[in-house]
Amino acid sequence: MTAQAVAQSLVSGLLMGLIYALVAAGLALVFGLMNVVNFAHGEFLMTAMYAAFGLFVAVSLDPLLAAPFVAAAMFIFGSVVYLGVVRFAMSASANAGMVQIFATFGLGVVMRGLAQLLFTPNYRSIPHSWLGGRTMQIAGVYLPAPQLAGACVSLATFGALWLIINRTDFGRALEATREDSGAVALVGIDRKRIFALGWGLGAALVGLAGAVLAIFFYIYPDVGASFSLIAYVTVALGGFGSVFGAFAAGILVGLVEAGSALVLPASLKYVGVYALYLLVVLVRPRGLFGSL
Amino acid sequence: MTSDPHIKARRENIFVAIGVVFVVACLPLFVTDVYVQNVLVLTLMYAALSQSWNILSGFCGQISLGHALYFGTGAYVTELLFTKFGVAPWFGMPAGGLVAAVIAAAVGYPCFRLKGHYFVIATIVIAEAGYLLMLNWDYAGAAQGIDIPVRADSWAKFQFLRSKLPYFYFALGFAFVAWLVTYMIEESRWSYWWRAAKDNADAAESLGVDVFRSKMAAAALSAFLTAVGGGFYAQFVSYIDPESVMGFQFSLLMALPAVLGGLGTLWGPAVGAGILIPLTELTRSFAGGSGKGLDLIIYGLLVMGIALGRPEGIVGAVTKRARKGRP
Amino acid sequence: MDDGKEREPRMKLNRREIMTGAAVLAAAPRVARAQGAGEILIGAVFPMTGSTAQTGLDAKNAIETAAAIINDKTDLDLPLARGAGLPGFGGAKVRVIYADHQGDPQKGRAEAERLITQEKAVALIGCYHSAVSATVSQTAERYALPFMCADSSSPSLSRRGLKFFFRASAHDEMFSSAMFDLMDSLRAKGQKIETLALFHEDTIFGADSANVQTKLAGERGYRIACDVKYRANSPSLTTEVQQIKSAAADVLMPSSYTTDGILLVRTMNELGYKPRAIVAQAAGFSEQALYDAVGDLLHGAITRGSFSLDLAQKRPMVARVNDLFKARAGKDLNDNSAREFMALIVLADGVNRAGTTDGEAIRAALTATDIPGDRTIMPWKGVRFDATGQNNGCDPVLLQYDGRKFVTVFPLLAAISEPVWPMNS
Repeated sequence: MTAQAVAQSLVSGLLMGLIYALVAAGLALVFGLMNVVNFAHGEFLMTAMYAAFGLFVAVSLDPLLAAPFVAAAMFIFGSVVYLGVVRFAMSASANAGMVQIFATFGLGVVMRGLAQLLFTPNYRSIPHSWLGGRTMQIAGVYLPAPQLAGACVSLATFGALWLIINRTDFGRALEATREDSGAVALVGIDRKRIFALGWGLGAALVGLAGAVLAIFFYIYPDVGASFSLIAYVTVALGGFGSVFGAFAAGILVGLVEAGSALVLPASLKYVGVYALYLLVVLVRPRGLFGSL
Repeated sequence: MTSDPHIKARRENIFVAIGVVFVVACLPLFVTDVYVQNVLVLTLMYAALSQSWNILSGFCGQISLGHALYFGTGAYVTELLFTKFGVAPWFGMPAGGLVAAVIAAAVGYPCFRLKGHYFVIATIVIAEAGYLLMLNWDYAGAAQGIDIPVRADSWAKFQFLRSKLPYFYFALGFAFVAWLVTYMIEESRWSYWWRAAKDNADAAESLGVDVFRSKMAAAALSAFLTAVGGGFYAQFVSYIDPESVMGFQFSLLMALPAVLGGLGTLWGPAVGAGILIPLTELTRSFAGGSGKGLDLIIYGLLVMGIALGRPEGIVGAVTKRARKGRP
Repeated sequence: MDDGKEREPRMKLNRREIMTGAAVLAAAPRVARAQGAGEILIGAVFPMTGSTAQTGLDAKNAIETAAAIINDKTDLDLPLARGAGLPGFGGAKVRVIYADHQGDPQKGRAEAERLITQEKAVALIGCYHSAVSATVSQTAERYALPFMCADSSSPSLSRRGLKFFFRASAHDEMFSSAMFDLMDSLRAKGQKIETLALFHEDTIFGADSANVQTKLAGERGYRIACDVKYRANSPSLTTEVQQIKSAAADVLMPSSYTTDGILLVRTMNELGYKPRAIVAQAAGFSEQALYDAVGDLLHGAITRGSFSLDLAQKRPMVARVNDLFKARAGKDLNDNSAREFMALIVLADGVNRAGTTDGEAIRAALTATDIPGDRTIMPWKGVRFDATGQNNGCDPVLLQYDGRKFVTVFPLLAAISEPVWPMNS
């Protein structure tokens, strides 16, 4: 294996890692906000990818342009899921943790079934888009345009998230709700509203990820499974409660995945990622930057 | 002492269990259809598996979504011994149990200090890593799995061509044993320590070493029983591959009945399995052939509805109602 | 701890719950329909949900097309096509009942038992996943009725000494042999083909395919420059593609389903890798969805197949069957659906000649099957089963994608043009 090939793998791993971070951002936000792991995260992503595909087929909108619309639609979807399902799971009188896991898991199964019913299980993809198939070469290392765009969207998203969380009233309310959801009621913050907006925002982030992935990935009802476990591992590795932990962890996962595929048989590359998770949490039981 | 209501209740539980076993044991007299018998076997098997899972995750409070690892270990040890060395499954199943118990202790030792979702995700990734290793281990058949030839009915080899009854009675006995183990644990010192540790951080501190050891024991016991179930399943299906015995879905399938019936309750897993498994099977058989995903929609709605509608599980809900009804 | 007062009612209600559960089971819908007068029931077990559900749906359309041809009067030159229904049963219709195995061997087996005992199916067809075909064929064996393996190509399936196992189409060794035959013939014409890059998924399909290819490469003097076994449905294949790019082999031989096939081709393009030639083990590379997604990057790619629409030029019936299928499925017959179509035709032919629904009799009739190649829609010599239940007259074809459609390029008997080699020339 030449140095160039290693460089290629690491650069690709970095780009993919930024995309993993983007995929995990919504999950990290929702967990950090209210300590709920969304086991339908993969299906949210699948829905977003179908939305991007639908806009492409219906009005030939390029997925890059469709991203804001997909994010907006997913915002509404996320809020509705909170109000219709998660709200009840959170107020469960017993075993709240398991109820949340299985309520969202059941939701995910329903979403897969609905996708199959509405869109058939056929494999879809967007054959032509502005970025699809384009690639550039720097010193023998290829930078595919779709992944590069995904990485940029990821950076911009985390930048915006930082601003939202640190510089807006909504962000401060989010933070306050996360830290002490009992006390915020006293200062007049409507918890349910914050949570609904938080879920909307989390789903909107998944919407961005879905639109970006739709440029180069295939789409079918079970596509979420390819990303969901990585997203959970990413969030936990970064540390629950830390959105920026997810950012760092995403990059790390991408790099370790690419590195593992170089040294292990490729079919075992995720063993490297899993080992990384175990190693980190055994040394730091709260993940890299976790507060919970 | 017989007037002590607590001991009376304990004794009644035993009588009820024996009564239930007796009634279920008579079912094949009325149910002769192999498809329904197949559903019964699966129901009993999942009742036992979920009961085993409940020991670690319900009573002990260490939520594991990686029990597929132990299930697969049991299936693989049993069948590797059987197909490569001619060891009868009667020895293979406990051997698989022991291997799984050792693995569980090795996993528990470093991981029990992890809290909440960190622990859950650790169990998932360890099981996934095990699955990937099996998928790449050529000696154990790798992706091609192990096909177990069945040529004739044989108790020695524990395999039967058409009859489901031997499997049925094994599964019934297995479910009863798992119930009995839970029954004994429920009243044991362990159970007391675990509850104390859950409710009271100071108590947890002072009991630290004892709690840790008892958790290790619970993990080993839970894994042992789960692996026996895996060995049984391999004999029952007579074909295994990593996907069909170590997939993540098994970890969920083992947890669901206990959650549905009542997490950390004696009867929860059995009640949950008795409702969930027949519904799952019937939904697939009668809605699955359409190819429209209807069976997924029904199944998902069911899981959601139960999780949201009965968060304390059916057993818990019933108890609560009974309490309210009392003056 | 709860005290006894609270425990007592809990148990009573538990008892009720448990009894309810038992009652539900005992009353499990017994939909067993009596074998309707004038109907012969055949059970089909396919994946109808999950990641391969589309294949199951295509299989259903293919089998329904075959059933319609058998049941209605047509002038197609296929067994049973000319009359209505099965003449051996006084014109009884064939009805196929479908069950969903979700890719799980246990579920496949349970559904097979249900189809046999409740629905009274006289034979089974299935199952796409080789793992499920393994348990379903065992079940058929136990109930002594035939299993027609439609589309599982694992060679080991027909080597388990099962009496009731039949496979009309090829298995992986036959498929891979054809791929190497093509390369041998190109070599004989002076093409330089020395090194191969194997790229296969970590499932039973990928492993079987790669094992056979490794063996054949050794026997026929090809060097394996790299052998990449990858995790199916990975989010990224970049490092894997980097490895095959570095190997720069003369031929890339992928064994991938549609999803990974799409990602593979896109990633190769993004990393600036243009293989000299692709010879694929069908699967994803015979699916329309793959060519819809990345067809413009695959000009000149070759895939093995069981079926070729080109055959319609010599045998017009093929186009008409394809039209019938297309009316149902909205797409052309392909490698899988053509095999599934033929599976029912061959099975029904055996059932018809048996003249009874007895499993042994149908088995005996199937072993005596003798259908000439030109009475199938396949480029086969014919259908005759050997002692293992395998048809050895089912020559595979190699198809080259010309940017719009597939062109048969091998073997000479079926070919309508010479292969373009290397692919991007």
